Amino acid sequence: MSGQTSPRTMFPGDLAATLRLRHSIMQEIRRFFDNRGYTEVETPIRVPCPCVDIYIDAFTAGASLFLSTSPEFHMKRLLGLNLERIYQIGRAFRAEEAGRHHSAEFTMLEWYHTGTDYRGIMQETEQLVRRLAEALGPRCEAPSFPFARISVSELYGKYAGWDPVRCWDEERYFRDWAEIIEPALAGLGAFFLQDFPAPLAALAKIRPDDPLVCERFELFIRGLEIGNAYSELLDYDEHVRRFEHAAAARTAMGKQPYPPDAGFLEALRQGLPACGGIAVGVDRLIMALLGLDDINQVLAFPAERL
Amino acid sequence: MIDTTDIRKNLKLLIDGDPWIVVDFQFVKPGKGQAFTRTKMKNLISGNTIERTYKSGEKLEEARIDESEMVFLYNQGKTYTFMDNTTYDQVELTEDHVGDAKNFLVENMNVEMLFFDDRPISVEVQNFVNLQIVETEPATKGDTVSGATKPATLSTGHTVNVPLFVNNEEWIVIDTRNGSYVERVKK
Repeated sequence: MSGQTSPRTMFPGDLAATLRLRHSIMQEIRRFFDNRGYTEVETPIRVPCPCVDIYIDAFTAGASLFLSTSPEFHMKRLLGLNLERIYQIGRAFRAEEAGRHHSAEFTMLEWYHTGTDYRGIMQETEQLVRRLAEALGPRCEAPSFPFARISVSELYGKYAGWDPVRCWDEERYFRDWAEIIEPALAGLGAFFLQDFPAPLAALAKIRPDDPLVCERFELFIRGLEIGNAYSELLDYDEHVRRFEHAAAARTAMGKQPYPPDAGFLEALRQGLPACGGIAVGVDRLIMALLGLDDINQVLAFPAERL
Repeated sequence: MIDTTDIRKNLKLLIDGDPWIVVDFQFVKPGKGQAFTRTKMKNLISGNTIERTYKSGEKLEEARIDESEMVFLYNQGKTYTFMDNTTYDQVELTEDHVGDAKNFLVENMNVEMLFFDDRPISVEVQNFVNLQIVETEPATKGDTVSGATKPATLSTGHTVNVPLFVNNEEWIVIDTRNGSYVERVKK
């Protein structure tokens, strides 16, 4: 069929304008961190351990390697070099994730800040989004500042009528999330969701004054999950337990278990500085800033155009 | 069997013996958490819509729907009679199964009929059809820009809003997806 344009190669009419805006947002992100004394780092895309999350499926990348689902283990190892503030903008890969808010290959901004915790990261995150909104000016579908703070107990209490913190039920938590909570989020503007139940701590510290919740937050803007942050767990034994638990859970689900990250565990054994850190989905952040609802609108080559 | 990764718009699923069509869907997965696909579906027999949420990896059964081209012959009371163009077999559908399509059916019009388990369940008309106005107020001459409309009754009994310049007994183009006026049929 020579001479005919296949839909696969066709670009939407406004893509060039979106890509220019995307570029200015990326420049502004780098400027924000560079001005605050951050060191930009790069870590491997092919990694021996893709994550400790039982619900994330990694692509395999050759013998006993995976495509990175997040740069967190390698970035935390760099904190052991006394690099006090580091950031990275890179690709992350998650198999089986595709939809209006998901792309199997996406851009992740991750940063770590020693001597602070999730509250410090929360402040910094809001400052970053405010800076980006100012830089975009009238082109920004600005979320209103300051961002609200909502706890998981409040959110589920209001919309689902129960409290996952006091009576944890994993099946019910995620089903209610998909059916009740997620559809309600779009109406809530920009807010930090905090005080996650302890079983959802992932790599966050448990809160010392309330062991039922952990020091973790997520940022939502108009229903989009933008970022996920922790007061980073730095306890060696606890990490060993979480790697073992995740591997057993994946095996029980009939999925390939991931090996523990030996290099990261060794760094923990030698000791890493207290820090807070966050991973931000850059494509979704751009969607939120530009008022777009489909991730394929901010990607030059989404899966359907490969 | 298919699974949740096969969900897309217009996928037809068999649920509790009934055929359903996916009208809309959304993949939902918290960064740290289980993945689901939320769907909105329409029952192909009753027309009821429901929302259903599937956990990723859940198995689904596809509904086998056959389509064939038929011609509409006539209707009597609540019964609509169609004929297969190749076999000349006649098929009767009740008004409920014909659904909104009854607003657009005129004799000898070609339609797509959907069959489930060899039972006819619904008909689909073309997106645009020509229908004649049988009753409307006389046209207001010259008013082609105001955007004002008046009701007009079509030969099928369906009522649409048309611009003031359209006259009784004129033929107009109707968008059957929302039942609205498009333009006058060009002579």
